[in-house]
Amino acid sequence: MRGTRHVLAAALASALAVGTYSGSVTAQGEQTQGISDTEIHIGAFGPFAGPVYLYGKLVMNGVEAVFDKANADGGVHGRKLVLVREDDNCKPEGSIAAVKKLAYDEKVFAIIGGACSNATLAAVPELEKAGIPMVINSAVADAITDPPKPNIFSTQLTSSIESRAQLNYALDQGAKKIALVRMTDAWAMARYNPLIEYAKEKGIEFVADVELQIDAPDATPQALKLKASGADAIVMVLYAKPGAVMIRDALKIGYNPIWVGQTAINDFAAFEKQVGIPDALKNFATISAVAFQPTDPEMKPWTDRLKSLFPNDELSTFNMNGIGSAQVLVEALKRAGKDLTRDKLLAALGSIKDFQTDVYAGSITCDAPRSHQCNQNPGWLALRDGKIVRIK
Amino acid sequence: MRALLGKKAFLVLLFGTLLLLPFGANKYYVFAANLVMLYIILALGLNLLIGFAGQLAFANAAMYGIGAYGTGLLMKHFALPYWLSAPAGVVIAMAAGTLLALPALRLSGIYLALTTLAFAQFTFWVMTHWTSVTFGAGGFVPPPIDFAPLPINQEQGIYYLSWVAALLLYIVAKNAMESPIGRAFVAIRDRDVAAQSLGVDLFRYKALAFAMSGFYAGVAGALYCGMLGFVGPESFDLLQMVMHKGAVVLGGMGSVLGAVIGGTLLTVILELVKEFKFSIEIAFGGLLMLFVLFQPTGLVVFVKRWLPGWEERLHHAEDDGAERAPVAADGESRPQTQAGD
Repeated sequence: MRGTRHVLAAALASALAVGTYSGSVTAQGEQTQGISDTEIHIGAFGPFAGPVYLYGKLVMNGVEAVFDKANADGGVHGRKLVLVREDDNCKPEGSIAAVKKLAYDEKVFAIIGGACSNATLAAVPELEKAGIPMVINSAVADAITDPPKPNIFSTQLTSSIESRAQLNYALDQGAKKIALVRMTDAWAMARYNPLIEYAKEKGIEFVADVELQIDAPDATPQALKLKASGADAIVMVLYAKPGAVMIRDALKIGYNPIWVGQTAINDFAAFEKQVGIPDALKNFATISAVAFQPTDPEMKPWTDRLKSLFPNDELSTFNMNGIGSAQVLVEALKRAGKDLTRDKLLAALGSIKDFQTDVYAGSITCDAPRSHQCNQNPGWLALRDGKIVRIK
Repeated sequence: MRALLGKKAFLVLLFGTLLLLPFGANKYYVFAANLVMLYIILALGLNLLIGFAGQLAFANAAMYGIGAYGTGLLMKHFALPYWLSAPAGVVIAMAAGTLLALPALRLSGIYLALTTLAFAQFTFWVMTHWTSVTFGAGGFVPPPIDFAPLPINQEQGIYYLSWVAALLLYIVAKNAMESPIGRAFVAIRDRDVAAQSLGVDLFRYKALAFAMSGFYAGVAGALYCGMLGFVGPESFDLLQMVMHKGAVVLGGMGSVLGAVIGGTLLTVILELVKEFKFSIEIAFGGLLMLFVLFQPTGLVVFVKRWLPGWEERLHHAEDDGAERAPVAADGESRPQTQAGD
């Protein structure tokens, strides 16, 4: 007990010594933080490992490739771009820690990234408090940018945009009975809720609503249920791996309706390999935020640059998402001028209109202050005569 | 010199640093320090259950989640102030923890582990699927917490609340484990049949161990809800449970001081791993493996061996650690086996 009293006494003494503390707040919104005469420090956060590292590490590698090109071309108004990475482990506490570290410890000028929807959503209040310009390039939850926050922009297709596009595609294909197969995590739920709302708006009732786990090795029960529902189109709210399992097991029971994917399955060639059955994807179409496949000749310069920076990387659609978002940021930095401030960057981001990147399916328009969701153009990919093609 | 290297000096230094940190450190370090205090509370609670009472339970992350969800949902759905929601969340977590004592009466070791693991998975499923109440996988943002009339914001208020909670719960754990409660826990851990023959009420003390553990996790959960301003299911998954166990193993099973060391060390290691841009899973898994193989009794025993003044009542792993630790680690702790036993 004496020891306990010692600890308490010392603690209380310390508290008294600082009793005048009245909640000082660190100065925020430093307009030129992270900028020197020769460099601009840009932060990035997302998972470095685990099942969703694709949305973190690989996207960051794509960003780094764009920064490398900008630096090779002389930098932005003579300043080199430096990417400072932070791992958020795809957890809310991780993303808040990452944002605090980037904003107050690394003191970066702006941030690009945000991989996981829940983690990014949790960090939004901290981003707003810090007043740091942020370009979201992977997280899809609408709530991150809707209603618009003055300093947060997204170059990724948001979940409601994709959900609407998926349902419209099924209807355009003449589907009469539409079913849904989905995961149950935060990513999937961010898409599921707007999908259900849009279906109601359209007066459509899904004939089946089936769950499939991210690591499911078998989807035969789900396939049987979907087949029994008589659905002629299936909206897939799945990652590529469970998506491949779903189509494979449906084919095994002779069921091949119209399959409608979304951006998590936008590496068509890789998905074809994952399904592993010839002709399995003849009824499959998917949304792609990017206009090209990694093997397309248009991507060769980026493939080479990425290889030179990260010899173990093969260009993927995840890298390409990073490339597209970083090109938007670099363009905004250029437009903000040599006397760079955060306000100028935000103004430049908000004024971007019909900007074409090397990768995105459509142009980028940030209609600030009405909308900070700058990518409104889902592209579509499908297999035609054995070739992956863009379709309307 | 002895006093300077003793456990009291360590505790004064640790809690003194944590108290003063917000005055000199930036917001990132303050946030990390707040996490340290939460993991100290979590490790203290779990150590009471598995280290002292010898109950191999895997539901601590679920209790942590119940505390966070209970607090946040009461604020969100019923507009209750934090001062009411947080204690209510803690009580809900403690009640859920106490219920787990029922299977613990009949089960032990791996069977208890599986039962509590199933409970944790069920809790996770409820968090994810009971959308109308829990907001599902997308989580939710609880209303802001007002610390008026104190002149501090939510971040500062939760930080100092965590500091007070960590210190008080350390004192409670220390005193409880030095009292007949601690002796009853250790007796149950070492051989429950023998404990019962000595008059230890198994149901009462097992229920108390689970309730205390649930209470500690609930307090940490309520603070977590206030610290993040966001509650989502991914924070309370199996990896979270592994981290709690890791904190206990790193610090030292069956040691109150070990829990303080473990909770601190765990958070510091995780942040350092991020600093060096290394995989958290690999670094943490590797470290845990090293400890299990080479220092199974935890860091506190290592410290005790080299520094004076670190002795704790009821923690005798220094004397027979080699035999005790592996036994304690599987939850079937027994004293050294005698010939013909």
